Amino acid sequence: MISLLKSAFWGLAGRTPCSAGLLQNSLKVLSAGLKTYEQPPDYSDVVLPERPKLKFFSKVPNIKKVKKEMKRLRDIQGPAQRANTFVKGQYGIVAMGGGYLHWGHMEMMRLTINRRMDPRTTFAMWRVNGPYKPITRKGLGQRMGGGKGAIDHYVTPVKCGRLILEVGGRCELGEVEPVLSEVAKKLPFPAKVVSKESLAAMRQEEAERQLNNQNPWTFQRVVTANMLGIRKVVSPFDLHHHGRFTGKFQLKGRV
Amino acid sequence: MDILPLCKMAATLCGKFLLRQGWLPLAHCVRHGSKAVTRHRKPMHFLKQKIMAVTEYIPPKPLPSQRRVAPRVKPNLEENGLFVLLKKEVAAMFQECKMITVVHNSAMTAEDMLLLRHRLRKHGLTIRFFPNVVMRAYLAGSQYSNLEPLFIGQTVLIVSKEPKVKEMLQTLRSTPQMVLMGARIENALLSQQGLLSYSKLPSLATVQGQVVSGLTLQTSQTAAMLQRHPAQLSALLQQYLKQKAEEAAPGATEGGPKAEATAAV
Repeated sequence: MISLLKSAFWGLAGRTPCSAGLLQNSLKVLSAGLKTYEQPPDYSDVVLPERPKLKFFSKVPNIKKVKKEMKRLRDIQGPAQRANTFVKGQYGIVAMGGGYLHWGHMEMMRLTINRRMDPRTTFAMWRVNGPYKPITRKGLGQRMGGGKGAIDHYVTPVKCGRLILEVGGRCELGEVEPVLSEVAKKLPFPAKVVSKESLAAMRQEEAERQLNNQNPWTFQRVVTANMLGIRKVVSPFDLHHHGRFTGKFQLKGRV
Repeated sequence: MDILPLCKMAATLCGKFLLRQGWLPLAHCVRHGSKAVTRHRKPMHFLKQKIMAVTEYIPPKPLPSQRRVAPRVKPNLEENGLFVLLKKEVAAMFQECKMITVVHNSAMTAEDMLLLRHRLRKHGLTIRFFPNVVMRAYLAGSQYSNLEPLFIGQTVLIVSKEPKVKEMLQTLRSTPQMVLMGARIENALLSQQGLLSYSKLPSLATVQGQVVSGLTLQTSQTAAMLQRHPAQLSALLQQYLKQKAEEAAPGATEGGPKAEATAAV
């Protein structure tokens, strides 16, 4: 028995170098490679709100005393001073001009985004209020005169640079961009999909352009000094906006 | 429209004392009732258009390129391993090959080049490629530094251990893309014309034969010159004896010359 084992062992031992040589010849030497993966973004600090979807706005504001207002076009003119930076989300729609948002626009945004987003990972929130500004119309076929018409509907005025809504959570721009851009092009003013970084970069570029302008004759300088009596033809708003806006429209490429 | 004429007088009085930096209009229009148009673009006043054109944004000039500021430092080729290796190869080639021809390659296709290679190979000639930088670096320090200006552009070397100029010229005749520039043959630098005349030279064996035959001719001529006088004398004497014998015995002409020959010896 022992001898048998021994012979088997020796046989194995004798054969192994030969077989090892054969193996070495036939085996390809595989070089190990390492792939460096991109680090996934850190979502540890993301807290989803209780209601991640966009809230429903009522068509008419909840006010006791309904009052007709004047047009007050100031509230769509010039740059937005409020709600022009991100609060909670990472991606959003920013207005590139002024305009009025109707209840219909809001419904369109709400329905599209709520349907397409994943409420377990993403959330969306409004950065505008529900329609509150009354717009009056005279009835159909009514003769002129007889005072101001009745309130027809309500709108939300939006200034240039204001965020309309924000989207955030455990998602990347590529996931939400198709929905947001689809919505943005249906708005009544030019609007753009931005992320927190791209908005900051946009603002930064604007500031740099203002700083590095090689033209010594800036609009601000000419108008504030009233050179050649130019104040006669420029609007008083131009003193504030330095010729970057005409009404609700933003002029591109101005500093 | 309200006009403020009183200000005018005050301004003329104060004008001398006030700095005219921020000049306020003396008379200006105050608009009432006109609304700012926001629904469409308001047509711009012509003067405002001019102001907008004057106050356009002008971007800063791009910085001068870094290469202009600090010219690029050429890498030290002597530290490059490949360069050193190629240089060694070139040195070895110059050592062992008797014929090194420089040929300018003007856009020869790879297929033609392969065919040419095959045809040259039949005669034991090989085509070799070296970077011009390597060749110039080698030639600058060697005795063949006059070959250096040939290494510009696409250059090809045709190399063989024995100088086979005739075969090479014959092969290159069918490829006009390859322009012969010059050659080094056994420590001598030859131009294109020089190569042509070199190829017309006969082979070494024939030249040696000619030399040998020439030398032998000279010696044989000298020997002939030296032996001429005695030979002529002997011939004359023979003739004389012949005549004598004919005169003496006109009948026995055959026995006479034999006797004369023995006498002459």
